[in-house]
Amino acid sequence: MAHKKKNRNVGIIGVGQTKHSSHREDVNQPEMIHEAISLALKDAKLTMKDIDCVIHGNMELFEMVHQPDLWHTLGTGAFGKDSIRITTGGTVGATLACAADNLVSSGMYDIVLAIGFEKLQEGNTTGGITNMADPLWFRKIQAGALTGSSAYDVEREFGLERANRASMIYRIIMDKHAGLNPNAHRAFGLDFNQIDDLIKISPKLVGELKLIEMCSQSDGACCVIFACEKRAKDISKNPVWIRDHITAHKEETFNIFGYNREFPVVKTHKFAAEHLFKRNEIKDPLGYFDVFEMYDPASWWAIDWLRDFFGLKGDEHLKLVENKEIMIGGKMPINPSGGVIGSNPIGATALVRVAEAALQIRGNAGPHQIPTPVKHALASGFGGTMWTVLMMLEKELNW
Amino acid sequence: MAEYWEIKVEDIFNSMQERFRPEGAKDVDAIFGYDIQGEGKWKLTVKNNDMKIEKSDDLSGCVATMSADGETFVGVNTGKVDATNAFMSGKVKVDGDMGAFGKTGKLFRKFVIPKKEMSTKDYLADMFGTVIKRFKPSEAEGLDASFAFDLGGPDGGKWTVIIKEKKCTVTTTIEGKPTVTLEFNEAKDYVDFILGKIDAQSILAAGKAAAKGDINMMASKWPVLFEKYKDPMAGNIPEQELLVLKKTISVNQKFSTGPIMGKFLKGLKDKKIYANKCPKCGRLQLPPREVCAECRVRAKDFVEVGPKGEVRYMDLVYYAMPDPLTGVARETPYGALNVLLDGCKGNETLPHFIRKDQIEKIQLGWNEKKGTRVRPVWEENRIGDIWDIKYFEIDE
Repeated sequence: MAHKKKNRNVGIIGVGQTKHSSHREDVNQPEMIHEAISLALKDAKLTMKDIDCVIHGNMELFEMVHQPDLWHTLGTGAFGKDSIRITTGGTVGATLACAADNLVSSGMYDIVLAIGFEKLQEGNTTGGITNMADPLWFRKIQAGALTGSSAYDVEREFGLERANRASMIYRIIMDKHAGLNPNAHRAFGLDFNQIDDLIKISPKLVGELKLIEMCSQSDGACCVIFACEKRAKDISKNPVWIRDHITAHKEETFNIFGYNREFPVVKTHKFAAEHLFKRNEIKDPLGYFDVFEMYDPASWWAIDWLRDFFGLKGDEHLKLVENKEIMIGGKMPINPSGGVIGSNPIGATALVRVAEAALQIRGNAGPHQIPTPVKHALASGFGGTMWTVLMMLEKELNW
Repeated sequence: MAEYWEIKVEDIFNSMQERFRPEGAKDVDAIFGYDIQGEGKWKLTVKNNDMKIEKSDDLSGCVATMSADGETFVGVNTGKVDATNAFMSGKVKVDGDMGAFGKTGKLFRKFVIPKKEMSTKDYLADMFGTVIKRFKPSEAEGLDASFAFDLGGPDGGKWTVIIKEKKCTVTTTIEGKPTVTLEFNEAKDYVDFILGKIDAQSILAAGKAAAKGDINMMASKWPVLFEKYKDPMAGNIPEQELLVLKKTISVNQKFSTGPIMGKFLKGLKDKKIYANKCPKCGRLQLPPREVCAECRVRAKDFVEVGPKGEVRYMDLVYYAMPDPLTGVARETPYGALNVLLDGCKGNETLPHFIRKDQIEKIQLGWNEKKGTRVRPVWEENRIGDIWDIKYFEIDE
């Protein structure tokens, strides 16, 4: 992807989200999508007349509906408009944002509406994920998105007790954040005095990965509206600017478990972050960004990935968690929204990261707004087995 | 005995017999325990499509015992508390065989909260009790007004709703000189009017009610200032039954292997394991892939590897993963291996499963540390499929 070759700047001018939940039997898919679309249009004070193009995305096999964008036209309002469907797995929401940025910055469209959704209760999520595996052989072996390997990595490096506690502290922080976010699916009201109890009682899924540490399966939709600089400034008092984005994926999906230091595995989060920050001349990402909305499928992966994203050394990443610096009010708030562990309508999930990061910059995220000003935000998407999308958002057009 | 949502813990147990579903009890032969904090212990025996529930301090012999506090227990049984959330957050705990306890979910029909009529007094308490919650401060800019209600009859009373500086307060007296006062001879008429059962004009016309003061304030400002009152009883009967359609997809599939993957699968049929080698970087791919995606060149040279090797990683899977092809849940726990077969190096590992009874004995290798040596166990009738290797077992 060519950096600094954008024809024009692109701003986020509208955000809409449904409440994420496991009980949306009251609406069908287009109706649920329409809720997010209406909220985003209202937020931007626009109508469908203003939208040039609709980009629609979700996972391919979860609800087993082929070309769902056709049915969903009832809810998206895409009739008679240019319309594109995108499906890239767990990253699809973030890819929608990248695509919208590219389409607007190219000059092709002035205003693009991106909608990501999932109704996970209507299909079989783990079966769907397993179906992504090579049908010639690996589909028969894979167990959805579940693996204990991250837990194993952290545990091997820092010992089981410290690793388990760090993971559970992260989990409880996410629960506290989700408790503040009215749209979050799951907020149990967990507290830090429950750490030992939760480590003991939460059923194990794979290895040390426990049920409570894994993300939810949610129904929900998220809509974000993107506009070119001129229109964004006309329409919005506080557009949020997209500075840059990067996508990295690795073909070698399964050959990653050799555990031999002579043969390091390319980690796409690290790869993407290093390249993105280098070309934007950001030497100290931990100091630069005010908030990070991270795609965290489970607390184990999250604590491990902090190191990759911010280029941290030794146990700096664990200390961030243990010292609760990742809480709202801390040095680097992670997922004030409660993250993916709190809500996970998969096709919307990565777009929610971008949307929530934008809301934090605008300063009106709601009860989970960070109290200090947010100027620079980072949002990530994760999918496949090794697939990363990273997006940088800015309050000012001054980079 | 404490009540939660006006239901006692005992009500749940006492109604079990009546709610019992013999069709859900097929193949269940077990005793389950319930330990409800501060309420007591119960023992549920299920056998021969029948059940018995008894209060008993002796929970020995139970395959699984559920413990919870009274509120959570009643909440979960009545749908007031989300069962998954309660379980995940540790409010409900299950000791013993979790799988067996799961079967209790199918044993009973849901406990239905007996529908209770709301009296006029209940309604008035609810209507004025929710006024502050229904108040919309954004609509009260610059407004300084008070709405008084003087409702007669045996259930009646007096209330004043005061709006000042975008704040709303409620008193149970009539304070000072209200901006507008609404008088009803019978409080019940007011309730019916709010519930939409009778209209204002007919009550006023019949002389059953009167409005004094700034009537316009009551007629046009009140509906803007407050969200409409929702009848809590109305929620029990949905206007329309919402259907959920259930579908099961079952499709036959066939996938061409191509020559590269085909060679690997054919090899398995002959008890041979083939990797292929990138002509540029020299790495092996296992199973073989058509190209080396890193070097973007075709990889046509095959190398036979293994069949023995060393375990580098194992996922110990407890979650009963449904097989996406058959829908059948895998038997758990099972060990999903990454084996470094002899002749491979670095990350060139092959994923497969370990023999079930050997999970505990597996050592994982890293860096210089060697993992457990394993060998494949072959199927008798091989068809060219990854399952031609039944599993790996320790090479002793």
